[in-house]
Amino acid sequence: MESTPTKRGTKMKPTTPRWLRLVAAMLALAVIAAACGNDDDGDGPAAPAEQAAPEATAAAPEATDGATAPEPTEAPDASEGGEPVDEPADRGEVTIGVLVPLTGELGEFGKIVADAIEFGVGEINVAGGTVCGDIRTVVADTGGDPETGIREATNMIESEGAIAILGPTSGIMVALVDLAKREEVVIMSPYAGTITLNELGGDFVYRTVSSDLGDGAASGLWLSTRGYGSVAFMVQNEESTISPAEVARTEVEEAGIDITDFVVYNPGQPSYQAELTSVLASDPDAIFLAGGQESGVTLIKEAVAGGFDGEWLFTADLAVPEIFDAVGAELINDKAFVEFADADPSLPEFISFEERYPGAGAPFAPNSFDMVTLVALSLEASGQCDGAGINSVIRGVSDGGTPVSTFAEGRDALASGDDINYEGASGPLVFDPSGTVSGAYTIQQAQNGEWVNVEFYPASTFVE
Amino acid sequence: MNWPQLLITVATIGSIFGVVTLALNLQYARGGMINFGIVAYFAVGAYTYAIITQPPPKGLDQYAFGLDWPWWAGFLLAGIAALGFAALTGWPTLRLRGEYLALTTFAFAEVFHSFLLNERRIGNGTVGLSNVHRPFGDWGPIEEKYVFAGAAALLLIVTLAAFRQLLASPYGRALDAIRDDEVAAQSSGKPSADMRRQVFLISAVPVGLAGAVYAMFTTLAQPSLFTAEVTFVVWIALVLGGERSVYGAMLGAFGLVFFEEVVRALPFETVRSAQIAASVEHIITGVLFIAVLRYQPFDRIQRKVRAST
Repeated sequence: MESTPTKRGTKMKPTTPRWLRLVAAMLALAVIAAACGNDDDGDGPAAPAEQAAPEATAAAPEATDGATAPEPTEAPDASEGGEPVDEPADRGEVTIGVLVPLTGELGEFGKIVADAIEFGVGEINVAGGTVCGDIRTVVADTGGDPETGIREATNMIESEGAIAILGPTSGIMVALVDLAKREEVVIMSPYAGTITLNELGGDFVYRTVSSDLGDGAASGLWLSTRGYGSVAFMVQNEESTISPAEVARTEVEEAGIDITDFVVYNPGQPSYQAELTSVLASDPDAIFLAGGQESGVTLIKEAVAGGFDGEWLFTADLAVPEIFDAVGAELINDKAFVEFADADPSLPEFISFEERYPGAGAPFAPNSFDMVTLVALSLEASGQCDGAGINSVIRGVSDGGTPVSTFAEGRDALASGDDINYEGASGPLVFDPSGTVSGAYTIQQAQNGEWVNVEFYPASTFVE
Repeated sequence: MNWPQLLITVATIGSIFGVVTLALNLQYARGGMINFGIVAYFAVGAYTYAIITQPPPKGLDQYAFGLDWPWWAGFLLAGIAALGFAALTGWPTLRLRGEYLALTTFAFAEVFHSFLLNERRIGNGTVGLSNVHRPFGDWGPIEEKYVFAGAAALLLIVTLAAFRQLLASPYGRALDAIRDDEVAAQSSGKPSADMRRQVFLISAVPVGLAGAVYAMFTTLAQPSLFTAEVTFVVWIALVLGGERSVYGAMLGAFGLVFFEEVVRALPFETVRSAQIAASVEHIITGVLFIAVLRYQPFDRIQRKVRAST
């Protein structure tokens, strides 16, 4: 405080207080942000799960009774029981982590997934919550980076008491396999098609989407039946694009179609002229572009500028409306198609979901909704408020028994002592040994600046 | 906020990157070498560990071999492989100085990254090697995460002790002499070129070992984990902490990881709030960097500690 009189232009004032003040200001900002982000983090580590666990264990033998306890139409305000104010979670609360890329190349998809999960959680909580209490979500951005994914997931499990983590992309799912098994926390993805999970998945690791090999089969089928004489493959050097492209190539070869080029390119380049040179020289009827948004946009523009006038088939990464602004709709209208794993729009479960949720048509939205509903029903079925409980019953919840399509229906059926078979908005959810479901696929066409459905391949198409 | 968990993560990641920062400190602050390709040595360690401990390929795997050896063999060979890679890359590059050396090492790292991406027989290409062996289980009542953090911290402490020993020896003083005035040192009979090469090789070993620990932590060896961003993060840690002291390098690494973890420890319960946080994090990080560089708190702490002792 001695420095106060010598305010300007002197060397008397020590600088330490200034940086200390800066640090204090930063800390204050952090505290304010924490207060905004969460209103009950004072419960401390793993509090929700620990609170809920004894209650759930007691209910385990009579899980179905427990499931009927909450009033279905009552607002989830945890006001029953008249417990003291400092014990807010009367029914307990169960935390689910939502780990998605909100930034980076897959940010568009991460937002779709997180929103659909949020919608599902809202429905479950409005219906009275699970036997373990209301579902609370903790959302974090991975930016697509596996190390960030591991650190965020660890934080969700250790600090927030998450019993399941939903929404990681392929690379992050693979990175989380060890953590999931070690911590006995279920991880589930609606879009991780990576073939690595064909070997690693199955125990605590699930996905409500089929493997990339299924995408390849669907793309191959489309290319083989479209009447092309020649096709060129432009494939981004990533597992999620190479695997399906290899499968599609085999199908196209077997159909007797000439493959003029199979170019594997590295993303992140300012230009792909070098890769396009031989492709354009062959003048194929169509280009199969298995690439991400950043590379895809540049590549499409350069190919059209280089004289390519044929058709395109894109993979799921480009199945977003933003692509029309990024590329220019006039370049791809009527000429571009996109293939992605999708729900069967004729299924009554999907139609019902579409009526309730305006974003149902977005890629992977039904798969995301199904994830959280499956987790909630597994909590009901096991009566155990932890990942091990979910893992022990999740296959049974979605296979065999009374068909149900919403959480409330499933909970009531369980309360009646029935086995249930959750029929998802994305289709049947029968997990194979690797924790993967068989998938259906949609082909959309670019028409007047938007994607329009032109073909649908149900899962039965690919059953041998 | 779950402080024990936060501190465990900081201890684990901070120790891993602290080792790399210490190596960079030795190369840059004492050896006068600007290495913008340090991620490559880190990656060599991670991949070596993964290949040595990985079971042979099966099913959809595309890598050619996995030796399925015990973790300690993979760990030791990770250090040796990094040493070998440093010998290979140091031979043509260390004749260069300043920005030329920086660019050449950066180019080497990019070539290696491209090699990992495109040569599937070594590291499975873009898929990488997954489910990498994580050696430590629970030690009685001590949970695995504490054991792992302890192991990472031990590597840092051993590296720190070794570097301190080296720098406090006549060899270290000769290095300082070369850094301060190479011509004068040479005229006193100090073999500057040989000593620079030796420093380059010595410092690569702990980086390789840290790479092995990183592979254990992430259970992955994947090209996307070993991009130039790692190099920049380590350089930022070094600059933040102050490059003139080994403790500064360490503090920089820990400070950086601590800040990241504090931001991540804030729970966001809605998609919107998480989106805003993801955007704001970069702004706050930038402002903090500027503040730290302007006021150099780590440097001040060191000076105060030094003055009090």
